[in-house]
Amino acid sequence: MNNIIVLPLIVPIITATLLVFLNNNIKLQRIVSLITMIFVACISVVLLQLIQTEGILRLDFSGWMPPFGILFVADSFSVLLVLTASIVTAVCLIYAFSTIGERHEKMYFYPFVLFLIAGVNGSFLTGDIFNLFVCFEVMLLASYVLIALGGGKMQLRESIKYVLINVVASWMFLVALAYLYGTLKTLNMAHIAQRVAEAGQDPLLTVVSLTFLVVFGLKAGLLLFFWLPGSYSVPPTAVQALFAALLTKVGMYALFRTFMLMFPLQPEITHTIIGVMAGATIIAGCMGAFAGRDVRTIATYNVIISVGFILVALAVGTEDAMAGAVYYLVHDMLGKALLFLLIGTMILVTGEVVVKNMNGLIRIYPLFGWIFFIMMCALVGIPPLSGFIGKVLIGQGAIETESYVLLALAFGSSIIVMYSLLRIFLASFFGETSINEEDKMPIPRGAMASFIILAIFIIGLGVGAEGLAVYVNDAAYTLSNPSVYIDAILNTNK
Amino acid sequence: MIVTLSIVLPFIAAALIPFIYRYFKNIHLGWFVLVVPVVLFSFLATYIPRVANGEVFVKTFEWIPSFGINITTYLDGLSMIFSLLITGVGSLVILYSIFYLSTKESLHHFYCYLLLFMGAMLGVVLSDNLMVLYVFWELTSVSSFLLIAFWHHRKASRAGARKAMTITVSGGVAMLAGFLMLYVASGTFSIREIVANLEVVQSSVYFVPAMCLVLLGAFTKSAQFPFHIWLPDAMEAPTPVSAYLHSATMVKAGIYLVARTTPIFGGHEVWFWAVSGVGLLTLFWGSFNAVKQFDLKALLAYSTISQLGLIMCLFGLGSAALHSGYSTESVIYTQATFAALFHLINHSTFKGALFMMVGIVDHEVGTRDIRRLGGLMSLMPFTFTIAVIGSASMAGLPPFNGFLSKEMFFTATLKITELDLFSLNSIGVLFPIIAWVASIFTFIYCVIIVMRTFFGKIQPDRLEKPPHEAPFGMLISPYILVAFVVGIFIFPNVLGHYILSPAMASIYPMFPSVEDMTPHIAAWHGHINPELIMTAGVIIIGVLLYRVLKKWRPIYQLIPPSFTLNALYERVITSGEDVSGRVTNRYMNGNLTYYFVYIYVFFVALLAGYMIYADAFSWDPSKDSVIEPYELVLVFVMIMAAVAIIFAKQRITVVLLNGVLGYSVAFFFVVFRAPDLALTQLVVESVTTALFLLSFKYLPKLKNEYLPKSWRFAKVTISIAVGATVTLIGLAVMNYDRFEPISKYFEDSYNLAGGQNIVNTILGDFRAFDTMLEVVVLFIAGLGIYTLIKLKAKKGDADVESK
Repeated sequence: MNNIIVLPLIVPIITATLLVFLNNNIKLQRIVSLITMIFVACISVVLLQLIQTEGILRLDFSGWMPPFGILFVADSFSVLLVLTASIVTAVCLIYAFSTIGERHEKMYFYPFVLFLIAGVNGSFLTGDIFNLFVCFEVMLLASYVLIALGGGKMQLRESIKYVLINVVASWMFLVALAYLYGTLKTLNMAHIAQRVAEAGQDPLLTVVSLTFLVVFGLKAGLLLFFWLPGSYSVPPTAVQALFAALLTKVGMYALFRTFMLMFPLQPEITHTIIGVMAGATIIAGCMGAFAGRDVRTIATYNVIISVGFILVALAVGTEDAMAGAVYYLVHDMLGKALLFLLIGTMILVTGEVVVKNMNGLIRIYPLFGWIFFIMMCALVGIPPLSGFIGKVLIGQGAIETESYVLLALAFGSSIIVMYSLLRIFLASFFGETSINEEDKMPIPRGAMASFIILAIFIIGLGVGAEGLAVYVNDAAYTLSNPSVYIDAILNTNK
Repeated sequence: MIVTLSIVLPFIAAALIPFIYRYFKNIHLGWFVLVVPVVLFSFLATYIPRVANGEVFVKTFEWIPSFGINITTYLDGLSMIFSLLITGVGSLVILYSIFYLSTKESLHHFYCYLLLFMGAMLGVVLSDNLMVLYVFWELTSVSSFLLIAFWHHRKASRAGARKAMTITVSGGVAMLAGFLMLYVASGTFSIREIVANLEVVQSSVYFVPAMCLVLLGAFTKSAQFPFHIWLPDAMEAPTPVSAYLHSATMVKAGIYLVARTTPIFGGHEVWFWAVSGVGLLTLFWGSFNAVKQFDLKALLAYSTISQLGLIMCLFGLGSAALHSGYSTESVIYTQATFAALFHLINHSTFKGALFMMVGIVDHEVGTRDIRRLGGLMSLMPFTFTIAVIGSASMAGLPPFNGFLSKEMFFTATLKITELDLFSLNSIGVLFPIIAWVASIFTFIYCVIIVMRTFFGKIQPDRLEKPPHEAPFGMLISPYILVAFVVGIFIFPNVLGHYILSPAMASIYPMFPSVEDMTPHIAAWHGHINPELIMTAGVIIIGVLLYRVLKKWRPIYQLIPPSFTLNALYERVITSGEDVSGRVTNRYMNGNLTYYFVYIYVFFVALLAGYMIYADAFSWDPSKDSVIEPYELVLVFVMIMAAVAIIFAKQRITVVLLNGVLGYSVAFFFVVFRAPDLALTQLVVESVTTALFLLSFKYLPKLKNEYLPKSWRFAKVTISIAVGATVTLIGLAVMNYDRFEPISKYFEDSYNLAGGQNIVNTILGDFRAFDTMLEVVVLFIAGLGIYTLIKLKAKKGDADVESK
């Protein structure tokens, strides 16, 4: 029992609620929301340390022992994601301070972001599958608002698609939950895992797990990503970056929990299907990014590619691959946030979205250009930046299990990632510039600060990969040995 | 320690460049940078005697020990050759660049990239850990990209940079996969440890795939056929860069990799044929294409490709010695490897000099096009000397070093035909023949370089600037290189003993004696041997063919422009973009209906498909309670309402029918004795129906959608399939009763939570946390709707972001 586990969810909710009533004091809103995220990040660091010494932590709400009550579970995997999500949110907030505009700020922008992150953190931490559904709803509701906030024509058009598809996905989630409860008669994830193991995951249980695959596939953008490119292109840049960094990751997290913890016993069915879906996702993403002519399209399809890439690790399923997936998830949150912030800023300063219509940006904004270059190298997986170690480990896993097709697709995708981002870099940053030194539009300092912070993290995660290794290995160990998780929930009474 | 420092020093220097640049505006930045390679070269040179004695220097620093990735620097004979080349040629190139690049260029960028490259390249050749090698490998690609794009306002520079980066990084990715396979097979990233446990790797299933992938990396980097197409385009870089990266060092990284991994892979038939075959083909193709070039730099680029092929081919031939282990017969074949190392150095000297010569011509005359050049001999005598010596050496003429290594190359190709291995006795004869033909073309383009630039008539009106001799500074570096070209010819065995033979020990670690593998290099063997006849033939036929070049030049037009490798590459890329663009736009058409069709089809295919495949469906109505008649009536009403919705013409009808469905569900709750649920459902239904009715007032009338029949049919089928799937799984789930529900526990709600209504206790106590979050959801929804109404985009707002 450790009460601080709930803080990453409850603190943002409380501050968000308070900020709703202070919506006219913009300065206060900024400070409070930023402090909240920094606080949550600090809490996650503390949690991460605690887990290393005391093992998996749990919090049984109202004291109802598992499997009967709801509980939060903190293992290295979930807390690493909470930590990264909080950092990314803090950075996106910093970016938003100087770019989002007063109208949004007064319209509860900060509370919505805090609600969003509360839902995200809750999804990472919960140990109860119905509670996962509820946390998803918190996150989704906040995302519905954030996507439409501002009320532009395109925004409304794309948000209606986003909302409708997600409502259907939520309906499927409910149906899946009903099936789950109908068969296993329990909601606690560890308990589900235990019962599935007891029953030996017969075909009907696999059917139930496959319904979850569809649900989380929709959320993660695994093959069912049709909602993603449109809806990630319309909101303000800071929101885009948040979405790109966080939303698909929650779906991926749920997929990992479902198929590594709860339903891991039919890998020849489930993991094979995931592998096929991941491969198809990579191909579709690559085609989109390869053909992309404007920065938005290229960026959104890059999100899709990375979804496929990370889920290759799940399909492979070895401990190495898990470690790779954890590294890559962390990397991708940072990298995608930076990518979207950068392209948003490019659009802001040039007023263009088509790659060809911008040029020579590096002459006017040298630091900006070089950060883009670093980010590009990181997303490609060029060492010693953050994408490298995850790629290596996932590759190792794929080789160990002789999944050569997935290996080829995953590694091949990095070439397309590079090609598509090089297109932006060469056309937009290099070349003659058409903007004078005098009438250039300055990049706000806050925005610049957010790029620098993320760039430092990206370099740090690559060069200092060893620093995270303890936590990542612990996370991978728990993921590939579900009994560790189950024992921590059901067989100890702390 | 020093070895590690030599990798780090260039990086530190690169980081300092911006500061130096700011504070010493008056002095050319190159002078500061020059210190780095000179210091490194002298340091490394002090190691030569010890390395020659067979010592190796190893030092390990931990980087990511958890995953076996440590920075292990390793200096042996092979690393020594390459690091001397990198620092030696580096010093000369930087010295040359000081006079070549004016201070108006953005020198701080240039030297920063150049130092990055130098550090990365030293990292490649001094690393023992495969992952660290890969790190530096990719860094060389990146710095090469930046250097090619140095004049990035030129379109050709950007295109060349992109092509180089795409091809070399692709190869790098393949190589990474190969390295990972080696790791999985051997359990270590250390090259030395892999070599020490060769049996494990060689017996693994990963052996041949890993070999092919590593070779892909090597071939792309070293511009081997058919990946050579990036190198001519890379000539858009400033000439010092071309001389340094794209002829002397970076393109030799692939050769280094082949040499380094020869102990692992060498002796295998695939390796032998891949390395020597591709090398031979590249040798021929490069020299053949060099002849048709008009741009001197492009000519040199193809010549570099061809020479790299020659070296590659020699390494392939030399690997045959490893096939049957050490014996007096197999030692003979190691001479090919010796020749490869020898030519590697020779090539760096004469090609470096030639590149600098072309740079001088370009710099002083303003063009590199041989159709506009001519007659410069009297105006630029010093430059002319460089050209003559460099070209003669490249063509394999005495008294220059190229003659020696070329002779050894011929020897090796002749020797290999005698080998009864890898079916060499039948097609091995191709080696000397192709080598000889390629040498003729080599001879021809060497003649072209000298004759077309320096002889003939000068055409002042077609030159950009009045020609004159280069400044003294620019001549220093090429003359040092030329001195080596001659010096090595005179004292080849000094080089052989101190530099080449320690490297042989690295390539053949399992061979006991280095002395056996170090042949005595001599220009004259005391009698006329076949090699000498071959050289004589090259000269005679080469001169003849050069005289009638105009006559046979049209054969280059036999390959139509659209069938060249370059055009093929471009076509693959553009058509790839086209196809993916069309496919993507076809299915991502922005129409929500389509997206739902994809989702539902997937849903049905996956779930129903698996149900059928695994035979998971089971339904046993025997245990169900009896169905009462009024329940049937209710079901019938619901079915009618649901079907009617589809055919409704007005929104209001839809809403009302939807209400019917909802209320019927509430009835079911009543029937099944769940009054609180029934109440909730009633309230929800009433409120939503009322709200729908209110808001639909503002919506336009339902339009009758016109849909083609097939589309209509598809939609109906999908809908029915989804419903059926959900129902069938539901029915199967109903019968699943292996476990006791956790809700049994809640039935004791009075004692546990002090409430008699189990639903209330669940909502308010057992699962109160969910309830709290649901309240939050409601709160967000309410607030969200408020903002949606309040914050509308003002009309006429420039909606820049959503273009």
